Amino acid sequence: MRILGIETSCDETAAAVVEDGRRVRSSIVSSQVELHAPYGGVVPELASRAHVELVNPVVDDALMEAGVLDAGELDAIAACHGPGLAGALLVGVSAAKALALTTGLPYVQVNHLEAHLYAGWLEEPDLEPPLAVLIVSGGHTLLVVMEDHGRYRMMGQTVDDAAGEAFDKVARFLGLGYPGGPAIDRLAADGEAGAVAFPRAMRDEGYDFSFSGLKTAVVNHVRKHPDVPAADVAASFQEAVVDVLTTKLVAAAAEAGAPTLVLGGGVAANSRLRARVAEAAEASGRRAFLPPLALCTDNGAMIAGAAWWRLRADGPTPLDGGVAPSLALPTM
Amino acid sequence: MLLLCLDTATPQVSVAIGDEGAVRGEIRLGRGRRHAEQLAPAIAYLCHELDVELARLAGIAVGLGPGLFTGLRVGVTTARTMAQALRVPVVGVASLDLVAYPLRHTNRLVAAVLDARRGEVFHARYRPVPGGVQRVGDYEVGAPADLVADLVAAGEEVLFAGDGALRYRAAFAEVDRSEQAGPAYAFPSGAALVELATARVEREEFSSPWELEPFYLRQSDAEIEWERRQAS
Ligand SMILES: [Zn+2]
Repeated sequence: MRILGIETSCDETAAAVVEDGRRVRSSIVSSQVELHAPYGGVVPELASRAHVELVNPVVDDALMEAGVLDAGELDAIAACHGPGLAGALLVGVSAAKALALTTGLPYVQVNHLEAHLYAGWLEEPDLEPPLAVLIVSGGHTLLVVMEDHGRYRMMGQTVDDAAGEAFDKVARFLGLGYPGGPAIDRLAADGEAGAVAFPRAMRDEGYDFSFSGLKTAVVNHVRKHPDVPAADVAASFQEAVVDVLTTKLVAAAAEAGAPTLVLGGGVAANSRLRARVAEAAEASGRRAFLPPLALCTDNGAMIAGAAWWRLRADGPTPLDGGVAPSLALPTM
Repeated sequence: MLLLCLDTATPQVSVAIGDEGAVRGEIRLGRGRRHAEQLAPAIAYLCHELDVELARLAGIAVGLGPGLFTGLRVGVTTARTMAQALRVPVVGVASLDLVAYPLRHTNRLVAAVLDARRGEVFHARYRPVPGGVQRVGDYEVGAPADLVADLVAAGEEVLFAGDGALRYRAAFAEVDRSEQAGPAYAFPSGAALVELATARVEREEFSSPWELEPFYLRQSDAEIEWERRQAS
């Protein structure tokens, strides 16, 4: 069964064709990073306008790359309906419903967070729950135990900034530009992670995260010690974030008895986070599953992948389905 | 020649199917801000009841605004995608033209005025000509008071149409010898879109789906703010 998945929840316009929730036949992502860079963050109205321009060419490329000559050859059309920016989500949902209407194929709405959980199957078709999954990006910070398909236990979330937001804010403060994650990762490679002992907020209490205090600590430290090399600040900040993320991921896996650790979201590209999670998995006798970057950041394949599982569980979505900007992960 | 005609530039969702320039059927839903939910089911219902298979459409027409951004994006994305999938041409018409066109039999100046929220209106002026209306001046966005001042200075008899004209009817009453066309003319007309788009398709004045874009007329708030900061 071949499904087209469309993703327009934030600043990537993406579409992909995936077979049976596992085999990626094509995946096209058009990033708007450069469009938003002058503003230091995603501007919702600009994102929505760009999605309108890009969604059709991106869908067309995804169909072509998958060797689909006509959308009617597919088996279903899926789109992310939330969570995300309302105006941006509307574009993908409208395009998917218009395609479903013209082809007569079923439409499937997909929860963006659930789609991140299902990205793992695109790389590792034999992945078996339970999994302890950490999804970290500019928009989300969640720690979830996936006990089975459709059965999720929300272990923790951020109480203030998302992890990726903390990277962006600190990068902006250090004059490294936007997006901050890759910039800090690069600079940190030349720095000393132990140079500054930044606070590890809530590391050993529960599973929720807090990153706003860490940003303030970085600002205060640099003001007080202007001579500390920026690379040391970046490496020490990164270490503090990664330390908290890794500690909680391993603790959640232990509590839930999950033998596999999984990373998702744009921050999963962070080289230090990948290294620490791999080490921690080995030390605790678990397996780390670190999907390639293209599956961690927002993409259409994860939407098409999750749609296959959703379609099997719930059937198609009626064409009067709208968008849900503050949709949560359906937990137990 | 069957045309599917959509306009979602205002709180109203409008879907019409035209056959050789005449309206075969039309749906108007005025629930506001439900464009994404209502548009596809409305198209499906209308086609079903009129026994029109989508594959028989000769083209898709859509109101491009100016209007409410989210509504516009739903209509334009739907039109672009359907046209792409069906491999038919797409025609975009300014939504203000669709407000003015039904008043083409007047001999007054027509001011088409749509509510732009935040105390502003989208507007354009039209003069009746044989077979239609001709726009005089640009499509604009601004405060009702500015439009009133311009119209008072022009000193012409004015016929107001559109939901913006109704919302600010007290302000527009300042214009001497003016009149409101009334609630029947509050929103872009599906029949007008059928007529205007049919003529365009016959003249082969259509675009490829990917060229079609909403007519925003207004920058995003972030751009305005950013330019202001750059200037200061
Ligand atoms: Zn995401």
